[in-house]
Amino acid sequence: MRGLRYAFVLTATAFMPLAGQRPLTVTGIQSLTFGTLLPGMPSVVSRTDAVKSGRFDLGGPHDTQGQVTFTLPSVLTGPAGATLPLSFGGSDAGYSQSQNIGSQVGFDPNQPFLITFSGQGRGSIFLGGTARPAPIQRAGSYTGTITLNLTAFP
Amino acid sequence: MKATGLALGLLCGAALLAAQGVVIAPHAVFIDARTRSGAVLLYNPNTEPVEVAVSFFFGYPATDSAGRIVVDSIRRPDSTSVSAAAWLQAFPRRLTVPPLERQTIRLLATPPAGLADGEYWARLVISAKGGQLPVTGVADTARVKVGLTLEVRTIIGVYYRKGAVHTGVALSRLRTAVVGDSLAVWARVTQQGNAAYIGTAHAVLTDSTGRTLSEMKAPIGVYYTMEPRYALAIGALAPGRYRLRFDLSTGREDLAPELVLPSPPVRDSVEVRVP
Repeated sequence: MRGLRYAFVLTATAFMPLAGQRPLTVTGIQSLTFGTLLPGMPSVVSRTDAVKSGRFDLGGPHDTQGQVTFTLPSVLTGPAGATLPLSFGGSDAGYSQSQNIGSQVGFDPNQPFLITFSGQGRGSIFLGGTARPAPIQRAGSYTGTITLNLTAFP
Repeated sequence: MKATGLALGLLCGAALLAAQGVVIAPHAVFIDARTRSGAVLLYNPNTEPVEVAVSFFFGYPATDSAGRIVVDSIRRPDSTSVSAAAWLQAFPRRLTVPPLERQTIRLLATPPAGLADGEYWARLVISAKGGQLPVTGVADTARVKVGLTLEVRTIIGVYYRKGAVHTGVALSRLRTAVVGDSLAVWARVTQQGNAAYIGTAHAVLTDSTGRTLSEMKAPIGVYYTMEPRYALAIGALAPGRYRLRFDLSTGREDLAPELVLPSPPVRDSVEVRVP
């Protein structure tokens, strides 16, 4: 009986915080794509490129603010420890409250960016960047991780 | 019960999203010292499992020199800080959320004996990594292939309240400047009491007849002292004298009223001169 009561309390507790509150979502929709890379030829992807730019969709309770930051790799790691430089400029990220790639406010992905979930409580972040393979870049697969951090305030 | 149903309904609505990440509710957790426990519900709206890792740190919103709101992360909070990060635990700390399923993370507080009344803060980090992420960018050449994966980290506030908690805010140094087609507004706000001030900032620009020309509302959380900067769109304002009224109140649309600590509104105003 005590076990049942404990289980009930745990279950009830689990749902209590939901009262009156709405969920928060951060969704990776599309990764940043550089296409074919040729040694010695930088590849630039614009944040307004619908096919190649990275995209994250955000959602949150109306009237909530959040801080967006990125953890970005400066290099991609490849075969036998080889690296491929990756850079992100001061306007390589963009935020669209309407989730329209053609209607963005640009920002520096290396700096925190404040968003407010207003209206429909959604928004999208777009990300561009530049990959710079060296003229003697070692052949093989290079990988890295782009992390988006959303800190919800109250 | 109705609110719970609404929240669950919203969670299910998010299932239409088909990508990587989890839906998290609530966006702030308030733990009462009598129960010492809380919970966060995760929902995976995707078709692939999501690996989730959970951790805590101590941090709070502050402002930088430009008045932008940023999160101050304190890696090693001292013994006088109101950090709850060291004595909050999450169960489980690592989990896999199957497609279209929910999982609950339970939070348990084990505060030190003799903890003084007040509110203690931590930030809960929920890192989500999909098992089969949309790794794109694999070049169609054998020479150099690139694959970038995405990871998302959602950080929410956790508030542990013990005994009598009360809050308030002191407002000073209200000032403005016309910057292009905007009116920049700064104010110094300092938290009072033993809990964070969670409320709404409201600014109104009026002309000499009292007519509203521009208005702004923004959520605000005051944990210590901060000087946020706001901007009101004013367009091409005719030269003259105007008045900027600024107030802070504890009303919030995103939080249940019982979670927000009440405090009387605080107001100030300044004259704005447009040359």
